[in-house]
Amino acid sequence: MLLTLKRKYREEVLAASFLWPSLLILVALLIYPLIDVVRLSFHDSNLQREVWVGFGNYIALANDPLFWRAFWQTVVFTFFSVLLHLVIGLGLALLLNMNLDPAFRTVARGLLIVPWLLAPTVAGMIWVLMLQPFGVLNGLLASLGFIDANFTISWLGDPATALGSVTAMNVWRAFPFFMVMLLAGLQAIPKQLYEAAEIDGASLFRQFWHITLPQLRGVITTIVLLDSIWTFRAFDPVYVMTGGGPAHASEVLATAIYFDGFQKLKFGYASAEAVVMFIVLFIVSAIYVRRTMSNQQ
Amino acid sequence: MTVAQPIAAAHTRPFLGKIGIRGRERLINIVAYVLLLVAIVIVFFPLAWMLTVSVRPNIEVMRMPPEWLPQVFTLEGYRKIFASPRYLLVFANTMVISLLVTVLSLILGAMAAYALARFKFAGQRAVLMFLITTQMFPLVLLCIPYFRIFITLGLYDTRTSLVIVYLTFTLPFCILMLRSYFINIPRDIEEAAMVDGCSRLGAIFRTLVPMSYPAFIGAGLYTFLLAWNEFLFAVVLIESWENRVLTMAIYSLMAEFVTDWNTMMAFSVLASLPLVMAFIFLQKFMVQGMTAGALTS
Repeated sequence: MLLTLKRKYREEVLAASFLWPSLLILVALLIYPLIDVVRLSFHDSNLQREVWVGFGNYIALANDPLFWRAFWQTVVFTFFSVLLHLVIGLGLALLLNMNLDPAFRTVARGLLIVPWLLAPTVAGMIWVLMLQPFGVLNGLLASLGFIDANFTISWLGDPATALGSVTAMNVWRAFPFFMVMLLAGLQAIPKQLYEAAEIDGASLFRQFWHITLPQLRGVITTIVLLDSIWTFRAFDPVYVMTGGGPAHASEVLATAIYFDGFQKLKFGYASAEAVVMFIVLFIVSAIYVRRTMSNQQ
Repeated sequence: MTVAQPIAAAHTRPFLGKIGIRGRERLINIVAYVLLLVAIVIVFFPLAWMLTVSVRPNIEVMRMPPEWLPQVFTLEGYRKIFASPRYLLVFANTMVISLLVTVLSLILGAMAAYALARFKFAGQRAVLMFLITTQMFPLVLLCIPYFRIFITLGLYDTRTSLVIVYLTFTLPFCILMLRSYFINIPRDIEEAAMVDGCSRLGAIFRTLVPMSYPAFIGAGLYTFLLAWNEFLFAVVLIESWENRVLTMAIYSLMAEFVTDWNTMMAFSVLASLPLVMAFIFLQKFMVQGMTAGALTS
């Protein structure tokens, strides 16, 4: 009796001792800084001194057109990135899921994943090179006759095209994630569903609309939520390609927070911006967490 | 009604009707191959451009119309990098930091995952929810407190600081992925080993760890990729050249030598090479890690 009790107790201690190192590290690295940022957002701070300003930073923020500009540009950047990831990823996943030679399928999938392996910094730099006024994209467009070789487009230097160019790079780098996830989802759909539809004479489009899409709904919702969160908080693509410019035309929240904090040294104000960003992300995350947790129990 | 459809279709589409179901399927398949090949060409264009620019002199980079193949082949860019101790140190730094982060995340992650998969305890659900939420954290929010904390601790501008902060996003991922794998391994196997006289730790190392090697490789590769490609924390926490990592060095190169595209692309090729090589040999595990990253249930 005593022996079994001791043994049981020992297991609980074992469980706790296995879990605590990770939990301690994560609380120290995530919860403490979060509290610190919230505290700082009520102060005026340049790291040397801190002055309590109450909601001052938040009021200033609400009246700051630059903040709202960055906010809406982040929304636009996220919306088009995620939409194009989904469209391209789904298209390629459907193609890869067709009755192809298995070796060809493996090689094609492997090749199409490569952009996703690159650091956003590296990918961004390749695109900066291609998008120069005398870069290869303009060269290609000129030799195809779309633009005049003497009046090339400065993709990253023109406010009209800067954010779109960054979005294009981000679409190119991250679509493989959607493709791989959707291909896995497609392969999990039972073949009998299609056989039954075939017997009923349903067209390929109807099969896609009534079988494929409903069966993929779970995967699509998950990856759209995840990608929205990841894109909304993205820093590297914008920082590397345009630095938020020209004249804030491609500024997003992450770069605005970085510049306010680490260049203008307005740490209190930057913290307030970060808290707003956190709240937005937290709402989307809550939906995602609820979905994941209900799948688990 | 539905049965009548194929006949109607055959009448309204005489061409497809004539070549028959078999022919139609083959036609669709050929279209799929062609579309996939086109997609591969488009997706690979930026990568191919990176490669050709890395082996051509700088005067050949911005030509209108572009030269598709280098007119003069040169390894000048690569030579510059291998001749510079400063650049080589950056590669060594990134390798050591990424490996350390991977090993730490796997060890700590496996311990926590085991506790979550095998024991029932109060607050387990809360721990899981916390772990899932951490993956959605806006990392730019953490920069401000990390900057302050590491200055206070005297760890600002050290490679140690990067190893610590990278755990914020690699550790939760490793825990969740390994946990989902451990759960699917029956506990009878461990218990049988324990009946045979193994201690619990002995049983874990003799049964569970070897059996879940795909999860360890998948999680390890994905962790390595995240650490290798990270940029934001490196920008905020590192200042001197001897502590820099690749992504940051690439960005500094772009700012310092605006027109030395040849060296920058050679640097990009070398920076991407380890991940691409690992991917070629371990595609299966990597894809597993990628999908598990999203579906950590």
